[in-house]
Amino acid sequence: MEGVAMQDQSQQQQQQQQQLVPPQPVAVERLNQAVVQQLNLEAVKTRAISLFKAISRILEDFDAYARTNTTPKWQDILGQYSMVNLELFNIVDEIRKVSKAFVVHPKNVNAENATILPVMLSSKLLPEMEIDDNSKREQLLLGMQNLPIPSQIEKLKSRIDMIGAACESAEKVLADTRKAYCFGTRQGPQILPTLDKGQALKIQEQENLLRAAVNSGEGLRLPGDQRQMTPALPMHLVDLLPVGDGVHTFSDASGMYMKNTPPLSSNSIGNQGNLLQASGAQLIGRSAASPSAATSATSFDNTTASPVPYANSPRSGTNMMNTPSPQQQQQQQQQQQQQQQQQRQKMMQLPHQQQLLAQQQFRQSQMQGLGQNQMSQLHDLQGQQKFQQLHGQHQMQFSQPMGHQQFQGRQLASGHVQHGIGQSQLGQGNQLNRHLSQFSGAANSALFNAAQGTSNSQMIPNMSATVSSQSLLPRMQFGLAGNNPQRSHASQMLSDQMFNMGASNPGSMMPIQQQQQQQQQQHNTQGAFGNMQPNAQNLQSNMVALQNAQQNHPNFAQQRQQNQQ
Amino acid sequence: MECVVQGIIETQHVEALEILLQGICGVQRDRLRVHEICLKNNPNLGNVASEVRLLCDLEQPEPTWTVKHLGGAMRGAGAEQISVLVRTMVESKVSKNALRLFNALGYKLDHELLRVGFAFHFQRGAQITVTVSSVNKMLKLHATDEAVPVTPGIQLVEVTAPASSENYTEVASAVSSFCEYLAPLLHLSKPGVSTGVVPTAAAAAVSLMSDGGGTTLFSPHTTRIKTAGLAWSI
Repeated sequence: MEGVAMQDQSQQQQQQQQQLVPPQPVAVERLNQAVVQQLNLEAVKTRAISLFKAISRILEDFDAYARTNTTPKWQDILGQYSMVNLELFNIVDEIRKVSKAFVVHPKNVNAENATILPVMLSSKLLPEMEIDDNSKREQLLLGMQNLPIPSQIEKLKSRIDMIGAACESAEKVLADTRKAYCFGTRQGPQILPTLDKGQALKIQEQENLLRAAVNSGEGLRLPGDQRQMTPALPMHLVDLLPVGDGVHTFSDASGMYMKNTPPLSSNSIGNQGNLLQASGAQLIGRSAASPSAATSATSFDNTTASPVPYANSPRSGTNMMNTPSPQQQQQQQQQQQQQQQQQRQKMMQLPHQQQLLAQQQFRQSQMQGLGQNQMSQLHDLQGQQKFQQLHGQHQMQFSQPMGHQQFQGRQLASGHVQHGIGQSQLGQGNQLNRHLSQFSGAANSALFNAAQGTSNSQMIPNMSATVSSQSLLPRMQFGLAGNNPQRSHASQMLSDQMFNMGASNPGSMMPIQQQQQQQQQQHNTQGAFGNMQPNAQNLQSNMVALQNAQQNHPNFAQQRQQNQQ
Repeated sequence: MECVVQGIIETQHVEALEILLQGICGVQRDRLRVHEICLKNNPNLGNVASEVRLLCDLEQPEPTWTVKHLGGAMRGAGAEQISVLVRTMVESKVSKNALRLFNALGYKLDHELLRVGFAFHFQRGAQITVTVSSVNKMLKLHATDEAVPVTPGIQLVEVTAPASSENYTEVASAVSSFCEYLAPLLHLSKPGVSTGVVPTAAAAAVSLMSDGGGTTLFSPHTTRIKTAGLAWSI
C-alpha cells in the first residue's frame, strides 16, 4: 500500500510537473477540473512539502548537534518525530483518496514505457517477498493444511479473534497503568499533575527557609542570651571548648583563663578593642562577662594608692612596680580611687593570672565607664574641640568613645587600657594629640595628656608590670614600633611630651589613654600645664590643620620648654 | 574552585532519590553526618569580614575536621549562561585544634548546623559528589545531639564538583548533564535560586520504589539500565 502510494505520489508530481513545465503550444494534458478539485492535489502537495521540510529540519538539527557536540534535547526531538509521524499519516490518507481515481499513470503504451509497463503492472511478488510470503503462510496454516478450506478459514478467524482480544486487554492494562502513574496518553500533550496552590506556597516557604539557612545561616543564629554553652558538649567538642559554669564573671573568667591562657590573653587585646561595641558572645565568653564587670566596677581602675602612674619615670616618687597592675589614678576622683583600692585588694586576693584577667576586664569596663565619669569635668573642652576632625582620622571602631576619653582624660586610662586599644588607635591618637596640646585650662590637662604622643617605652614598662603574659608584650611592641624613636626612655617621654606630638608619625598608632596618663601625671606632679592656656586659641585655630604637624610645632616647642622646667 | 547546584526534595521521596542515585552513580552511598560551624571575624581594621567554615565529620570513628572557605561566585555574562554556580573554594583537613585557633584569631561563631543524610561520590566527566541531607539546627550552642531539622518536610540536595579555572566549563557541563538525570524527581539550580518541587516527583518516586524499578544492587550496570528505563519510559 505504501509503495503504491509513493508511486502514485511520484506520478502525481510528475503530472504536475508536466502541467507546469510546457507552456508551449503543445497541448497540455490537464486533469479535469472537477477531478482536480475532488482529489485536492494541492493539499497533497502541500502536505508532501511540509513533510519534506520537517524531515530535513530534523536532519539539520542532528547535524548541528553532531557538529557542536552538545547533548540533544530528547524531548524536542521526540516531539519533532511525532510531528513527522502525524504528517505522514495525513499524507497517506490523502493519497488513498487520490489513488482511488487513478490506477496507472501511463495510459497508453508507447515506446517509452513499453519495457517498464509490464513490471509495473505485474502483481507477482518479488522473489524475496515471495519466499517470505510462503514461509509466513506455512507458519500460519501449520497443521491446518489438511483440513478443508472453510475450516481453515474458521480456524484462522478464531485465531484472529483471540489475538484481537489479547491486544485489547493489553491496551487496557497499559491505559490503566498510565492513569495510575499519571503518565498521560501516548499521543497528545502530557497532562502534568500540578500541585495544589496552597501546598505549593508552603513548600516554597520551606524551601526559602532551607536555602537561606544553608547558604547564609539565616535562622540559625542564636541570640546572645541563648548562647549558653550546653553543659553536655558532644564528643567531638568536649576537649576543645572550655565549659564555664556561667555563674559569676570572675569565676568564669578565671576558669577560662586558666584553661586557655594563650588564646585568652590575646583575645583580650582584641576584645578590648571590640568591647566598646559590645561584641557578641564568643565561645570563650569573656566578653560576655566583661560588660557586666563594667557595670559592677564603674570607674574601676586597678591603680595603687599612689598618684604617680609611671613605673620607670624618675619623677614619680612611688615605685609602681610593687603591684602587678600599675594603673594610674586621679587624685580628683577620690571615690574612684577608693573603689579602685577596694577592687585592687580584691584583685590581690585572687591569683595572679586572675588578677590580670580581671584587670583586663575592668579596663574594658573602664573604657566604657570613662564617658560617664569624665563628662562633667570636660564640658568646656568638648565644646571647644571638634570631634569631627578626630573622626576623620583612622577609623577605629572605638573612635568615638575614645574621643570622649581623650578629652576627659580624668579617669586613668590605665596602662592596660592603653595597650588594649593602643594598636588600633595609634594614628588617631597622634592626630588628636597635636590639637589637644593646645587647649588650655585645668581641664585641658586631660586633653594635653591625650594629645601627647606617647611611645613604646612608656607603654612597655606599664605593660611589663601589668601583664605577665608573653603574648601581650611582643604584640604591643610591634604595634607601637613605628612610633617616635625619641621615646626611648620614659623620662624622656615625660619631658618631651609636648615635643613628641609634633614629631610623632602621623600614621603611627598611639594609645590615647596612655597619653592621658602622661598628661595627668604631669599635671599632678608638675603642674606644668598652665602653659597650655596661652595656646588654647592657637589650638583652636589649628584644629583644621589636622594633618599638618608643622603648625603645631611652635606651640609644642613652647610647651616643651615650659614642661621641662 | 567548585561547581555547585542545589535543589530540594520532599522527605517522602528521599528513598526514591537514593535508589535513582544508586542506579546512576554505581557506587555505594556513604552516610553523612557533618557538624558545620561557621565562623566570622569582626573586621577590626576596616577590612571585610571574612567567613570560614569548620566541618566536623561525625560519621568517622574519629571525628575528622576540615576547614573550608567559600569565596565569591563567578560573575559576568559567561557565568549567567552556565547553569551551575562556580565559586572559589578552598578546603583542607585540619586537626581538632582548628576551632581554638580560629577563636584565637578573632573568629567568632556565627552559626552552626548539622547535616544528616547520605552522599555519593563518583566520577562522570568530573569528580561529582551528591549529598542529600536534612539540615538541622541546634537550639543550644553545640548541642548536636538535640538538633532539629530546619524544615522537617524538605531535604537539601547538593551536587558539587571541584574545578579549576581551566576546566570549569567541562565540569559545569558534566554537572548539568548529570542533573538532567535527576529531572523526574527534582530540579537543581544555583544556590539562591529557588526551584520548587517537581510535579512529576510523586509519580517518579512511585515508579522508582516499585519492584519494577530495580532492586538494590548487586550489579550496578543492570540496575542502572532498569532504573533508567523505567524512570523515563513515559
